[in-house]
Amino acid sequence: MTDTSTLTRGGGNPSPSGRRRPGRPAKASGLPVWSIPYLLLVPGLLVIGALLLYPMVQVAIIAFQKVGLPQIRPVNTKPAEWVGVENFTQIFGNEIFWNALRNTVVFAVLAVSLTLVVGTAVGVLLNKLGKKMSTLVIVGIMFAWAVPPVAQGIIWKWLFDAEAGIINWALNLLPDWLSTLVFGRADWTGEPWLNDAWSIYMVLIITVVWASFPFIAVSVLAGLKGIPAELYEAARVDGASAWLTFRKITFPLLRPVFAVLTVLSIIWDFKVFSQLYVLMGGPSNREAYNLSMYSYAEAFRSPPKMGSGAAIALVLTVILLVVTAVYVRQLVKQEDMS
Amino acid sequence: MRIAKITATTVTTAALALGLAACGGAEAPAEPSAAASGPKYSGKELTFWRLGDSNPAAQKYTDELVAAFEQQTGAKVKVEWIPWPQVNDKFTAAAAGGTGPDVTEIGNDQVPLWQSQEALAPITDIVAAGDQAEIPKNLLGLETIDGETYAVPWGGGSRAVLYRADWFKDLKIEIPKTWDELVAAAKKIQEKKGKDVDGFAFNGGSDANHLLGSLAWTGGGEYAVKEGDKWVGKLTDPGFKTGFEQYTALVTDGLSSKSRLSQNTTEIRTRFANNKVGMYLTASWDLPGIDEDSKGKLKGDKLAFFPLPAKDGGEAQSFLGGNDIAVWGTAKEMDAAKDFVKLASGKEWGVKYATDGGLLPVYPEALAKLSEDPAQAPFAAAFAKAKAFPADPNWTEANETKAVLQNAARQVIEGKATVDEALGKANTELENILNQS
Repeated sequence: MTDTSTLTRGGGNPSPSGRRRPGRPAKASGLPVWSIPYLLLVPGLLVIGALLLYPMVQVAIIAFQKVGLPQIRPVNTKPAEWVGVENFTQIFGNEIFWNALRNTVVFAVLAVSLTLVVGTAVGVLLNKLGKKMSTLVIVGIMFAWAVPPVAQGIIWKWLFDAEAGIINWALNLLPDWLSTLVFGRADWTGEPWLNDAWSIYMVLIITVVWASFPFIAVSVLAGLKGIPAELYEAARVDGASAWLTFRKITFPLLRPVFAVLTVLSIIWDFKVFSQLYVLMGGPSNREAYNLSMYSYAEAFRSPPKMGSGAAIALVLTVILLVVTAVYVRQLVKQEDMS
Repeated sequence: MRIAKITATTVTTAALALGLAACGGAEAPAEPSAAASGPKYSGKELTFWRLGDSNPAAQKYTDELVAAFEQQTGAKVKVEWIPWPQVNDKFTAAAAGGTGPDVTEIGNDQVPLWQSQEALAPITDIVAAGDQAEIPKNLLGLETIDGETYAVPWGGGSRAVLYRADWFKDLKIEIPKTWDELVAAAKKIQEKKGKDVDGFAFNGGSDANHLLGSLAWTGGGEYAVKEGDKWVGKLTDPGFKTGFEQYTALVTDGLSSKSRLSQNTTEIRTRFANNKVGMYLTASWDLPGIDEDSKGKLKGDKLAFFPLPAKDGGEAQSFLGGNDIAVWGTAKEMDAAKDFVKLASGKEWGVKYATDGGLLPVYPEALAKLSEDPAQAPFAAAFAKAKAFPADPNWTEANETKAVLQNAARQVIEGKATVDEALGKANTELENILNQS
């Protein structure tokens, strides 16, 4: 998460420092100058290799094997059996997978758009606010962002509880005519929000947007601070409306910021797990699985089928890579055109 | 060093010889062999997993059993309690990490699964001799796989309806003799005790098939039957369908709230203790937990059991449940673990386990004695004709992980499929799961 700020800001850094270097003599260590950057990269690469690349390669291998408990236990381990694409044909032939895929994609589209819209709106608002007020709001929304995923799930699960939840209580407080006009019903007692797949996802979207818009808002605010005030003054002189100013000045200038935020949001929202796990109380309602939940259920619920679990994880990873790649390409093209 | 080693070997050999002599000579092998193995385990430690909540009665029994074993063999026993809903996850982690217990309690329907994962050690020799030879062979159906036995039945459990006797008395409800009477009783409870009370709680969680099974078996249905070496699903048979409709009607008729479609017995029990449930299907092992959860308010004559009635009267079929005790496949102290299982499942401690824990003893004479006790008679009667789920390692996947029938019930309750559609699909899925290798 903190990466983003360095990413956006760090874009211009390497070249000036690089320009200074060639004129200097070799260091006392005797190493050729060209090797130093690579040498400095080694520790980082090692850590990434051990903690990220190795497990990823393992997952890819397991996806083509039949792996259960006898294959992974430390004593009298059995060799894993190669099964080719059987794991994949099995999951593609299962209705649960297609349900989970639909849930994952629809959720990601809705959650990413809502997060970005709400986050940007709040960011623009923060820019308009005075210093004290803006600090107050930032601190306030940052609390939501700081809540750990499991706690987010618990908070919203309680709010939407069928019997003791404050949401049903509040809906019941509405005047009957209003409630009937808007929702077509007046009585909300015991409404089971966390039962059907669609309502679980509604609550999940609220939970995720609630917890992730503050980051967008603050990033957008940071971007806005960098836009020269003259541009806005010029717009005001020309009599542009607020919306037009946003479309013609703010949005184009913040495009790089939005690009990074969108990619990050897509990545985060595609793999939401903890909040969903808490909201539905473990993998219980299989119509409401997303791909992560399905992968978990296959790999770790008994009898553990780590092969098909890994296959699902691989499919999810490929989808994510494709979505991100297409999006980034699109962006690069647009940059070139403008 | 050398001398010490030789001495040790000699002593061990002598002890073994003595033990053998005792076995060959006397007619009561249990006593001397226990005595002979006494010093052998001093300084060793066994880990023993008990399943469920550590309520006072169960805790006391376990303490006494452990003390007896320690006194006999000198080995220390460390007891860990694992709540039922977490058992499969915990076993999975243990089998994967190689950090399992030495001895564990295990649900009898879980034995085929964990045997197939090679997590249990064969203990055929234990059930072949001594007290354990008296356990009826039909109780070893789930435990015996390819001629080897992997667990010893410890206590049997059939289920009956636990109800609020005080509410029944207040509202002048008679004990239901037919299913329709039960439905009427549940509705009356909801009418008087509030809409958020479940008259008869629907179980759609990890152990949902205990309730659904009872209803379906009573209707004359079966889950699946093995024909040759293949399982053939029977979910679409009229008998099963009748029971399934009864099951889903618990929610569609409003006896149980739609907001808790995935609650399991443990969750129902908590609600029962908080005055939110009138009746549910369970067994007497829930009583100590209810006492604790209700802070001592719900016990004694405020609650009682009656046998689940069949649709047209008479008693419903019950699930042949039961807890076993087994030696973990990677036990560090294999011999001590086996001796512990031998002691725990023997007549003295086996019968005590069952009677103290609200279960039915697996020893015929003790069971016969129990049928004379009016409080236990409903269970003993149900136990006599209880049925079991398909004995297949993949049953757990259909039962809990994929929750095939829970899902079918959900589809019907939410109006997304008719009973026939839902059961047709579930049947195919059940066959696929049971027949996978």
